[in-house]
Amino acid sequence: MRLVVAECTVTYEGRLTSRLGRAKRLLMIKADGCVAIHADGGAYKPLNWMNAPNIFIEDQRSWKVSNQKGEVIVIDLHSVESDTTVELGTDPGLQKDGVESHLQELLSEQPDVIEHGLQLIRREYPTEIGPVDLLCRDAAGNTVAVEIKRRGEIDGVEQLTRYLKFLNGQPDLAPVRGVFAAQLIKPQAKVLAGSREIDCVEVDYDVLCGVERPQQKLF
Amino acid sequence: MKFRCERDALTEALSVAGRAVGSSSGSLGLSGIQATLTGDRLELTGSDLDLTISAQIQVSGQSDGRIVIPAKLAESIVKSLPPGAVSCSAEDDELLISSGRSEFSIRLISANEFPTLAEADDQFIELPADALVDAFRQVVTAASGDDSRPVLTGVYASNEDGGLRLVATDSYRLAMRDIPGAAEVLGSASSALIPSRALSELNRLLKRGDSVRMHMGESEARFEVPGARLSTRLLEGTFPNYRGLIPDHHPNVLTIERTALLEALKRVSLLAKDNTPVRLQMSADGLQLAAIAQDVGSAQEIVEGTYDGTDLTIAFNPQFLREGLEVAPGDHITLNTIDELKPALLRSPVAEDFLYLLMPVRVS
Repeated sequence: MRLVVAECTVTYEGRLTSRLGRAKRLLMIKADGCVAIHADGGAYKPLNWMNAPNIFIEDQRSWKVSNQKGEVIVIDLHSVESDTTVELGTDPGLQKDGVESHLQELLSEQPDVIEHGLQLIRREYPTEIGPVDLLCRDAAGNTVAVEIKRRGEIDGVEQLTRYLKFLNGQPDLAPVRGVFAAQLIKPQAKVLAGSREIDCVEVDYDVLCGVERPQQKLF
Repeated sequence: MKFRCERDALTEALSVAGRAVGSSSGSLGLSGIQATLTGDRLELTGSDLDLTISAQIQVSGQSDGRIVIPAKLAESIVKSLPPGAVSCSAEDDELLISSGRSEFSIRLISANEFPTLAEADDQFIELPADALVDAFRQVVTAASGDDSRPVLTGVYASNEDGGLRLVATDSYRLAMRDIPGAAEVLGSASSALIPSRALSELNRLLKRGDSVRMHMGESEARFEVPGARLSTRLLEGTFPNYRGLIPDHHPNVLTIERTALLEALKRVSLLAKDNTPVRLQMSADGLQLAAIAQDVGSAQEIVEGTYDGTDLTIAFNPQFLREGLEVAPGDHITLNTIDELKPALLRSPVAEDFLYLLMPVRVS
């Protein structure tokens, strides 16, 4: 990330032509090539900006940023107050609370949320091909293997299918049916699970945590 | 620049162009309206770089010119003048506005500070305005006003079976409208994300004529109606996969007169302040609306309707439900539900091309 504080004028040509008069501003050139021009106000929206990919040409007094749409930003630098480059590294992304291990812990304490009458036999039930997240018994006394993901995708269904094949080979457990539980299950994963007679359950992490979130969201 | 015109015409043109002037643009030029006089044609343009609106009026022109005037001040002055003719004359860096015995002199903004708008030589297509007015109104209501998620502030326009599909969602509700036979609006693109603010402003302009000329570019959309032009930067980003959000089966169906439900909802909502949900108790006997506000009181009302399904009590944010009812077409609506926690679908039996999906509020 390169941060330049400079007195500058900025002209933009593309959809229209605009000009930012001479003033002191913060110029940001991000590692991916995005360029943003900020004034000393406002939470996030730059005065002007250009997303990557773009072509950035720099000379001593002027920067030129252009893209394939024919948009051009020219930044004329009249005086540069500071010019620093900081290596930020890879951003870990927005950390969300509902990590799988916590979801697994919460569901192991409240298996009834997955299915009415479900009772936990063991969390992280060990098998030779890996631990099953939750092994439970349903109201009718049958064994149920639960695979838990934060985002339910096809990979998760495949993983549960392997566990079911293995567990159904165990005479003391068979027959074992599967439940795929996640905060959000993708439509493709639902279709695949349905074709393999695996039930899908979407769980609300906030509710499991006891957080009141009355107005629900579509996504 | 010098011209003379009617006060009302100038007031309206300043108001139309002024709607694109940002409140805190950070640039002096963008706080102004550009006035360009060519012969007897005066064009007033406001822009915040994302949205640009121009209004054209006929005046009695005496000398051509281009100036930039402070938007809010000019509009306030002209609006306050007595009805009748207004004379405007610009010299050096001042504009003289006079009418009857009133005379104002206001300092102009440097014309160089105002963005230069590219002349449009694009291929436009023409559509009837009335086909778009309702469609824009119906979907814009569900768009988000939260700029922190810019994608949700837009209306997603895409080709769908030879027609144009418009979708907007703020993550709590989703509105979708199909316009048959309008797929050519998007040109070569398969989809575009149009700022909902631009479509709201366009809807005001669509009342000016029977048709609208449209051009959808790679990064900008342009619209022209008689006496006004609007252009907007298109939003970038990926719109949520809305198809996966719409349940394909709702076992419970309430059919009810739209206005009756809307009026009852407004009454009951008087006791549903501060995000208090309104409960809809549905059974074979019909519908009962109820709201309970702690320390204030409660309200309930029975609305006649036909219900086919299992008894269900479901709660909604009254504003979201009201806005869906306001934009739904037809005299009757159906409220299709699964249970008290899954999204409900508001539709019109006479308009298959519209749907409004709404998430319930969880109540104990």
